[in-house]
Amino acid sequence: MTRDERERGMSEAIRANADYHRAPSSLASEILAALPAEEPGAPRRRRFGPASRFWLAQGAAMAAVALVTWAVTVAWLRPGEDERHAQDVLAAHVRATLGRHLIDVASADQHTVKPWLSARLPYSPPVTDFSAEGYELAGGRLDQAGGRPVAVLVYRRRLHVIDAYVWPAHEPVGRVEFSRDGFQLVRFAANGWAWWLVSDLNRNELDDFERLVAQKN
Amino acid sequence: MPHLDAAYNLARWMTRNEQDARDVVQEAALRAYRFLDGLRGEARPWFLALVRNACLSWLKANRPAELAGSDAAAPEPADPETPETLALRALDRRMLNEALAALPAHFREALILRELEDLAYKDIARITDAPIGTVMSRLARGRRLLAESLRAISRASAPKVHE
Repeated sequence: MTRDERERGMSEAIRANADYHRAPSSLASEILAALPAEEPGAPRRRRFGPASRFWLAQGAAMAAVALVTWAVTVAWLRPGEDERHAQDVLAAHVRATLGRHLIDVASADQHTVKPWLSARLPYSPPVTDFSAEGYELAGGRLDQAGGRPVAVLVYRRRLHVIDAYVWPAHEPVGRVEFSRDGFQLVRFAANGWAWWLVSDLNRNELDDFERLVAQKN
Repeated sequence: MPHLDAAYNLARWMTRNEQDARDVVQEAALRAYRFLDGLRGEARPWFLALVRNACLSWLKANRPAELAGSDAAAPEPADPETPETLALRALDRRMLNEALAALPAHFREALILRELEDLAYKDIARITDAPIGTVMSRLARGRRLLAESLRAISRASAPKVHE
């Protein structure tokens, strides 16, 4: 019997015999209860529809945790065109940050990111790296918001991620901003492009980033 | 919630009791909530790394002795002349669980993540903050240590087995 075979035997013995301790059923609810208190009366439970099943299928305890953040944010936004869009964008952002799918094309080079996106979309979004200003282009991805595919540019500022959703502004777009539970969202238009910026960055820095995007694209 | 099971299983094996495992997982979940923006790549190894760190802090505070042995200091088990099969044949569940629970922390966590969670070496390396080579040698040595201690147990309980 070689050393490898013995090790394999031991490995199989552990797999076959070692106890697997499943989490007690009360643990998940204990964890949710211990999270920072949410606004009382927010109808978040009823909003756990098919989306919640998706998250639970993903199976992360932290997915459930993030879902609370997301559901509360969504619950807070009252229905309306802007708000619905904000919900979409924020949901897409949380989904992306949480899953493995934050970036489809990882590059700080705008000449790599832009053609990648234009090849997959009916438009060619403006892509600029703002490393010099402290907002580093990390890449891009395709996402869905408002029921259509949209380009997302992913920027990093220290440890924070900024998602910049961009599409051609065919109609006038007003400026709206939301902030809730640590997420900041802002929508604005500049030079024929409509943008949604989403991040957990503080409001001042996101405003700063908004000015860069509006001026330099 | 499979990740919660994985988290609890790891914490339960590292703390060896239910209440401490619950506390450790809860702490890790709160950190996950606070540091969601630190998430890179897949959620499971990221969350398990938080759980593992919480376990480590708990061990430091409560059972520092289990962390004392570095990889180099851990005893290298002698290559046995008796095949492991003897030990394995005499193996029962309870014995294996006790022997596994008694392994030094670094070997135990590597084995739990590999054999019970079926994680890739690179994920275990990420979770335990160790190079892949170290993970592989911990796994190999952990299995040998375990075989050694099972042999010792079965020899003690049935001294005639080897004759």
